[in-house]
Amino acid sequence: MKLVISSTGKDMDDSIDPRFGRCSYYIAYDTEKDTFEAVENKSRNATGGAGIQASQAAADLGADAVITTNIGPNAFRVLETAGIKVYSGVTGTVRQAVEGFKNGSLGTTEKPNVGEKFGMGGSN
Amino acid sequence: MIISVASGKGGTGKTSVAVGLARSLGFCQFLDFDVEAPNASFFLKPDIKNEEKVSIKQPYFLKDTGADFSRCAEFCHYNAVAYVKGEVVFFPELCHGCGGCILVGPPGAVREKDVLVGKVLKGKAEPGIDFLVGDLIPGSLRTISVQARLESYINRSEKVILDCPPGTSCSMVTAVKNSDFCILVTEPTPFGLNDLEISVEVLKDLDIPHAVIINRDGIGDSAVQEFCNSNNIKILERIPNDIKIARAYSRGFSIPEVYPEWKERFLAIIDNIEKDVI
Repeated sequence: MKLVISSTGKDMDDSIDPRFGRCSYYIAYDTEKDTFEAVENKSRNATGGAGIQASQAAADLGADAVITTNIGPNAFRVLETAGIKVYSGVTGTVRQAVEGFKNGSLGTTEKPNVGEKFGMGGSN
Repeated sequence: MIISVASGKGGTGKTSVAVGLARSLGFCQFLDFDVEAPNASFFLKPDIKNEEKVSIKQPYFLKDTGADFSRCAEFCHYNAVAYVKGEVVFFPELCHGCGGCILVGPPGAVREKDVLVGKVLKGKAEPGIDFLVGDLIPGSLRTISVQARLESYINRSEKVILDCPPGTSCSMVTAVKNSDFCILVTEPTPFGLNDLEISVEVLKDLDIPHAVIINRDGIGDSAVQEFCNSNNIKILERIPNDIKIARAYSRGFSIPEVYPEWKERFLAIIDNIEKDVI
């Protein structure tokens, strides 16, 4: 299974970036091979539609599931269309998130947990 | 001669001044550019004779064709299109109607349709005011599309008064950029001053001559006066903080209608501006 996790950095020990659309990096983690790849989020400073672009990127990376803290309505709609499961409200490091996923302690979410433009309000 | 009436802060008296000028002139063209919340018609009470729809182009995707829309998603700078697992997801509120997805997408599978965003109303107000107003439909974000249509009706051979939207964003810039002179209406308070300073910066950038009218003169402090003095900005008039003016406003009457002597004062403002510009 391929997990895409919003991350503040390129490493497994970096913390999860709470903003899905405006995270610094995506960590694409392969749970079968236990390998990962860090991909820079080029649309993090987009004036609009960052969440949509991030969801597109997750789908292009072949994600089966996305792990993040906050997910907005537009991003959610794209992920839902792509059949990608969403685990939101997750905090801590990327490594902890992967472990949480493996031992089944993360719960999937059926709806967005923040409104549009939520990620615009935070600092970097 | 095109005079725009703007302000940084909302509710400082743009419409009061714009309407006061138009009423005093009697014969002019008046355009309400505040298309998100037009209200000059409450005061000028125009007889609307003509209504014109403003539409924009919006793409739609022929999903049944089974075509690959991935290039549309890649191309869209505004992220209005996503293409995942063979499904196109479109976000109309983010679309700017550029038509790029039609050009780069699968031939014939992306089409365009007209979407109504607002209207332009045209009419006459007493005694000889050509009245035009843009009205954006609630929920639409296409302010500029409606303003652009309004702009196409500016009659440069007349005296023209433009009532602008508040603030200093795109919609204000679109309105003032057409003018030969901009009157900034402010109130003598810290809020009024802060937003006046920003407006002055914008007008300097646009290279549009400008001056200030202080409304509700008598409240607040002298900081607006000091700012104008130290930046060489002329104060054209001071409208007193007056209950009769406020009461008249709330009933749809303009300043010259309650204080007839203000007709001469508004005309003097225009004379003053013409001397400055010409």
